[in-house]
Amino acid sequence: MSSLLRILENEVQIAALVFLVVVYAVRLAWLFRFKVHKDRTVAAGSEGAGIGYSLMAIAMPWSMESTRRRPGFYAQFVIFHLGVAAAIAASFVIPYAPGFFEIRPIAALFQAIIAAAFVVGLIRLVRRLTNPVLREVSSPDDYFSLALLVLWFAAGVLALSSRPERGEWPLILFFGLTAFFLIYVPFSKIGHYLYYPLTRFYLGRALGHRGALPPARQKRAAAVAGERRS
Amino acid sequence: MRRRKAGPSGVVEAPLDVRSQVQAREEGLLSVAKGRLKTYEPGDNVRKFLDLLGRRVSRPLAVSLTACVHCGLCAESCHYFLARPHDPTMTPVWKADQIRKIFKRYVDWTGRVVPWWVKAGSVHDDEDLNRLKNIVFGTCSACRRCSYNCPMGVDTALLVRFTRGLLTELGIVPEGVFNVSRDQWETGNQMAVTETDYLETLGWMRDELRTELGTDTVEIPVDRPDCEVLYTINPREIKFDPRSIAHAAKIFHVAGESWTLPKWGWDQTNFGLFSGDDKLGAFVARNVYEAAERLRAKRIVISECGHGYRSTRWEGYTWADFDQKRPTESVVITLKRYLEEGRIAVDPGRNTEPVTFHDSCNIARSGDLVEEPREVLARVCADFREMFPNRRENFCCTGGGGLLSMAEYRPLRLEVAKIKADQLRATGAKLVCTMCHNCVDGLNDVIKHYKLPMRVVQVLELVANALVVPEKSSR
Repeated sequence: MSSLLRILENEVQIAALVFLVVVYAVRLAWLFRFKVHKDRTVAAGSEGAGIGYSLMAIAMPWSMESTRRRPGFYAQFVIFHLGVAAAIAASFVIPYAPGFFEIRPIAALFQAIIAAAFVVGLIRLVRRLTNPVLREVSSPDDYFSLALLVLWFAAGVLALSSRPERGEWPLILFFGLTAFFLIYVPFSKIGHYLYYPLTRFYLGRALGHRGALPPARQKRAAAVAGERRS
Repeated sequence: MRRRKAGPSGVVEAPLDVRSQVQAREEGLLSVAKGRLKTYEPGDNVRKFLDLLGRRVSRPLAVSLTACVHCGLCAESCHYFLARPHDPTMTPVWKADQIRKIFKRYVDWTGRVVPWWVKAGSVHDDEDLNRLKNIVFGTCSACRRCSYNCPMGVDTALLVRFTRGLLTELGIVPEGVFNVSRDQWETGNQMAVTETDYLETLGWMRDELRTELGTDTVEIPVDRPDCEVLYTINPREIKFDPRSIAHAAKIFHVAGESWTLPKWGWDQTNFGLFSGDDKLGAFVARNVYEAAERLRAKRIVISECGHGYRSTRWEGYTWADFDQKRPTESVVITLKRYLEEGRIAVDPGRNTEPVTFHDSCNIARSGDLVEEPREVLARVCADFREMFPNRRENFCCTGGGGLLSMAEYRPLRLEVAKIKADQLRATGAKLVCTMCHNCVDGLNDVIKHYKLPMRVVQVLELVANALVVPEKSSR
């Protein structure tokens, strides 16, 4: 292993990770400076249940009309985020537990997931470029973040199938991109996973307090049955 | 003749009409003089707007302003976009981005570093603020359907109300919003009903009811202390639909309820919810809560009104910084209790026409009632038909968010009401029931515009119609 790759896999990654954590901490401190008003009403439901339901909504595609009616879109979402998780895992496994990917079926599974995410990323990029609604609201960061992720997935697939004797450039590309990501993410839309628990928490708490979330099972079933009929 | 569609620019470019504001200043209205009701003054409004933005953002708002990933999934949850699928400016994400980009530019430090990269932006003059006014007041009924459909949990309706509140503070509001707010500040009710009109209408309804039931024991009491129920109403009931008060009085009478209306603090509606003015919201809600305190009522019952219910039951206590001390419920809950306890008997055979139910956004999505009205209707109607989608996924009547008071946005409102019209038509019902006076007017507009063969009723009317009046009550 070249010293460039060794430093990239270790010191650079750790430094970039520390940077990410520090920026996230500052970001959270900034968000928590904003006040929250105390609700003066007597609850009609459970805040805890509302929060729990709200946080889990993303794993319950049937809970929202927007995901229930677009199963293909939801499947893309799942594949894309599994790809992200697999690529992040790979960025730790390759330097710190290299033997893990010597088990070929595991390496192949990771490759398949990341490759599928790559395809979904391309679909998403095309959608963002061609859909008038998305074009209207998209910022340069939206395009750049997505394009970068697509590139990162491609690098991940190559890195997982690379053989050092054939050259280290796939690994250098993958870890170079990973380090760049760690620095760029807190300033981009990719950092949305930091906000997801917060938005979901406050929405779930407000609606849970009022008894609007979670909807009772039979109520939701009735609504869905109706949708199918219509 | 081909109906002219209101293009996005037609709505977004609607001018700021300040004639009522000028008149209010000239007349020296107390609410204006005391600085409660803000009027438009040309000048440094952009700076004031940005100052307010920085000071007023709460944490739930901040996270909703930060978290959007522009996935576009909210688009198809919005009746504006569904009716205008080729117009990106009708999507919730675009509307929310109009305030989000300003937040990013001035409050969110990551947006300040390289604003163009994250599409952070600014408002430069009063024209820009007026355009923002037209977007948040004219192209969104704050129905919260998109909030329920956002995978990230971004509460766009909350952002819209927040932005409305900032603009209201500068007097940059539709004239209708100013007028109704003025009336509510000045008279304590949003239709400027005088005390004389109020008391005379109640007396008139009492007399009608006495004639109908053939008894002098029926009362519509005002300011009676120590009652079980303090009944609060919508001024529309006094002005345009006093029969709804008579329906409630008839049911209370038969149920043997101890109840009263207050002489002051009877308006449960609250334009502060629509204008985003928490101070007005607090003033109106406090009137109701203090009336209940003054009369030592055991519970507050809110007549059928969507935003009134949300304001009085949920938001008002927080706006007024007033801890809830007594049950505060919709009259539909009261009716359900009477039915369950056998305090009233009903005959569904008296309501034979097919009925469907329209969920008020403020009650179903921002409140807690979806099954309760259905349970009542199941007892009083012979032929109930669900509309689809329903419950928390139902579509707005299209008159929500105070839009009924904003004449300049009416063409667009009626155009996007096509979604509601299609939904209503598909039920085949002859009656559409709703527990909201605002929805009554909104749905009436839809029915008239799209020539639907149905009429709007409310739960009280159907229950009163089905009510079996025992002899002892009608003697």
